[in-house]
Amino acid sequence: MRSWAALLTVGALLVAVFAPGAVGQGTPLKLPDIPNPKVAANAPEIGKSGGTYVVGSFGDPRTFNPIVAQETSSTDVLNPIFDGLVEQNYLTGEIEPALAESWEVSKDGKSWTFTLRQGVSWSDGSPLTIDDVVFTFQAIFTEGVQSSSKDSLTFEGKPVRWKKLDDRRIQFTTEKPVGTFLRLIGAGIIPKSKLADALAKGGAEFNKSWGVNTAPKDIVGTGPFVMQSYLPGQRVVFLKNTRYWKVDKKGTRLPYLLRYVRLITPNQEQVRLKFLAGETDVYSARPREFAEFKQGEKAGNYTIYDGPETFSSEFLVFNQNPAGISAPKLTWFQDVRFRRAISYAIDRNTIAQQVYAGRATPAWGPVSIGNKLYAKPNLPTSPYDLNRAQSMLAEAGYRKGADGFLHDAAGNIIEFTLSTNSGNLDRESIGNILRQDFTKLGIKVTYAPEEFNTMVGKLTGTFKWDAIIIGLTGGIEPVTGRNVWLSSGSLHMWYPKQDKPVTDWETEIDKLFDQATAEVDSKKRAQFYFRWQDIVAQQVPLLYFSYPKTQPAVRNTLGNIKIGLQGAIGTIDTLYYKTAYK
Amino acid sequence: MLRYVVRRLLQMIPLLLGVTILSFLVIQLSPGDFLSEIRLNPVVSQQTVDQMRADFGLDQPLYIQYLKWVRNIVRGDFGYSFAFQVPVLFLIRSRLFNTLLLNLVALTFAWMIALPVGITAATRQYTAIDNATSLTAYIGISTPTFFSALLFLYFAFKTRLLPIGGMTSLDYDDFTWLGKVLDVAHHLVIPVVVVGFLSIAGLMRQVRGNLLEVLRQDYVKTARSKGLAERVVLRKHALRNAINPLITIFGFELGGLLGGSAILENVIGWPGLGQLILRSVLAKDLYVVMGSLLIAAVTLVLGNLAADVLLALTDPRIRYD
Repeated sequence: MRSWAALLTVGALLVAVFAPGAVGQGTPLKLPDIPNPKVAANAPEIGKSGGTYVVGSFGDPRTFNPIVAQETSSTDVLNPIFDGLVEQNYLTGEIEPALAESWEVSKDGKSWTFTLRQGVSWSDGSPLTIDDVVFTFQAIFTEGVQSSSKDSLTFEGKPVRWKKLDDRRIQFTTEKPVGTFLRLIGAGIIPKSKLADALAKGGAEFNKSWGVNTAPKDIVGTGPFVMQSYLPGQRVVFLKNTRYWKVDKKGTRLPYLLRYVRLITPNQEQVRLKFLAGETDVYSARPREFAEFKQGEKAGNYTIYDGPETFSSEFLVFNQNPAGISAPKLTWFQDVRFRRAISYAIDRNTIAQQVYAGRATPAWGPVSIGNKLYAKPNLPTSPYDLNRAQSMLAEAGYRKGADGFLHDAAGNIIEFTLSTNSGNLDRESIGNILRQDFTKLGIKVTYAPEEFNTMVGKLTGTFKWDAIIIGLTGGIEPVTGRNVWLSSGSLHMWYPKQDKPVTDWETEIDKLFDQATAEVDSKKRAQFYFRWQDIVAQQVPLLYFSYPKTQPAVRNTLGNIKIGLQGAIGTIDTLYYKTAYK
Repeated sequence: MLRYVVRRLLQMIPLLLGVTILSFLVIQLSPGDFLSEIRLNPVVSQQTVDQMRADFGLDQPLYIQYLKWVRNIVRGDFGYSFAFQVPVLFLIRSRLFNTLLLNLVALTFAWMIALPVGITAATRQYTAIDNATSLTAYIGISTPTFFSALLFLYFAFKTRLLPIGGMTSLDYDDFTWLGKVLDVAHHLVIPVVVVGFLSIAGLMRQVRGNLLEVLRQDYVKTARSKGLAERVVLRKHALRNAINPLITIFGFELGGLLGGSAILENVIGWPGLGQLILRSVLAKDLYVVMGSLLIAAVTLVLGNLAADVLLALTDPRIRYD
């Protein structure tokens, strides 16, 4: 009898202690309208509601239509308003569910099925349906619509196909497996009810729809903010979207911020001044500004962070295109031994010190160190050593003559024109450093920076150039840069649009990119990328300089700040104000 | 007089044709076009770029592009911006008022100061006041606008007395009518002073010079010997004659109301037409540039016409027919 009672009591006690906890942990967070909201698991803190967040930006947005928007001045304005089926985690770079709560890929890697999150509504109250998703992709592929997503979703000339399976699922199919599909399908979803009429009138009309002459309240999206007003040349003001589909770890609907303002400033100097004057809350400082900003931290009530490297690259490229130059220059530039020797003459440390005040990491390959997913560690390096460069050149048949100049085996003096786009002070400094070192080797360098448009014309049109210093932006997934690395690509800088690859290593790179594109498993894909980086480090068609670091400065009143890839400080839906409202 | 005005208006047409043809050629013939930047984007394919080129009509021969533009202008259609994909007129209209406001206030400010200062300098020639104002004038004329703008911005930053660029504050919409006026006035201080400073300097020297010349004339000596007070001599005889060249200058300044402040607007961040024009020139947004240049040219010609008509009205010696 006593044992029964004891057991019962213990049992009752156990239930009393653990039951509430069990209920608390077991019940998923939900909102009255959304059964399965996304939880912002990355945010370190639970925040408070309220406040205005102000940032400075360049240039007016050129359009409010996310399908047509190309440049950052527009996409920066539209990103808080629209969401895609998936989104990228700003800390890890991995793809996470967004408007789609889950997806499946078929065994053959050719079909991707996405299931839409239930209960999400547009900012005007109407429900998000699978028809909106179908409409978005119809718009992207409509003839005449100027969409940048069209190219990334066309594989070997064939566009992706889609099919609505039921009222929550859509299936995309490609001819061959595309492993990186998740990275390409994140385009902002647009409301069919608002834009179907414009699309029906054709591509040209659609390009003009939702232009900057549209009333802000007509720009309807699913994102954390809605546009309240746009004053041309002055600012864009956003208000929180009270129907947003994300919650914090406690179940409170996000975003925390009440207002978000993007001030349109004409130049970098003013962006900096406005931050120092307290008019804005964040500033992406340039590498040279780090030390000065560090000193002003206390007085300005902000913190400047030692951010990671960006994904952008800057490099020197020699022209190997017979359509643009001929022997003897063509012979030198096509000679890999020449290029490798030149790489030893590039003083990357001095570049990092002089151009970036030490805040840059020397670069040996095409993928930035900041890309934690795919940068190959321990690539072969060519540390600055003019003697080594000179002897490597001599071995390859390029020797210094009695006149002090470098001659090739046929006796021609090695001379070429080095160019870059004038006005870009960093590149101009790099050009000067290179010129001095190349001259010490005995090369006759004519350093001639020129206007951006002229340079682009040469690179993509006439191909009549010798050596250019230029840079490219980069995404986290290297295959998105296939226009640069495929031998048939139009931006294959040193020899674009080849009918067939002219070297074995370019053939191999073409194959690696195809394999990487098809591979679903990101770890296996990384192996293809690693091999590609090895090839580039050996063949050096592009001689990389360094990867500049980022140094974001953030006002101390902001919370949920955690520095992620490329110096991002946090996500707009989890930022909050620690102190009184503004 | 009426015949004169009509004749001048008719003369405007070949002038505008010349201006627009020249502008068109200069933009088109310089290297690159609107698509140059997109060409360097690794994600965009060659086909997309070619498609855009065809859509914008940039693949057609130059004279056809120009003639199409003229035909549209005559119908009042200024075309579409490549960059913004909205009508050019919308872009211009959204910023016209801001530039007009800036330049009108600067004009008023400049003239209200330059006239009395110039007159004082002339009547007290070679005194301390005259020398001081002349020195200030020389400094004003020699300082480039962007430099003085930068100096003022730095001063605003250090003292936090004035806003750093822009036209309105964040809370502008919540202000009362009076609050709004004061807010814009607060933001106008730096640009108006910078633009005005340059204008005042030149204008003041002009006023001084003209007045000095007139004061040496015989009829002024006669007026003085008649026993008239100096003030009356100045007002009734001297000023009226010294005004002529100033009217011409006024006409010029009227004509420059819409075009003159591009550099300043970019340095200060004033959301006006000048910013739009500069950005569009750099991006080679063809129709925005052409539309803006056309408006600027028309304003200039009309301003000059207004000046000439005013001259005829104030000076009985001037007759046009």
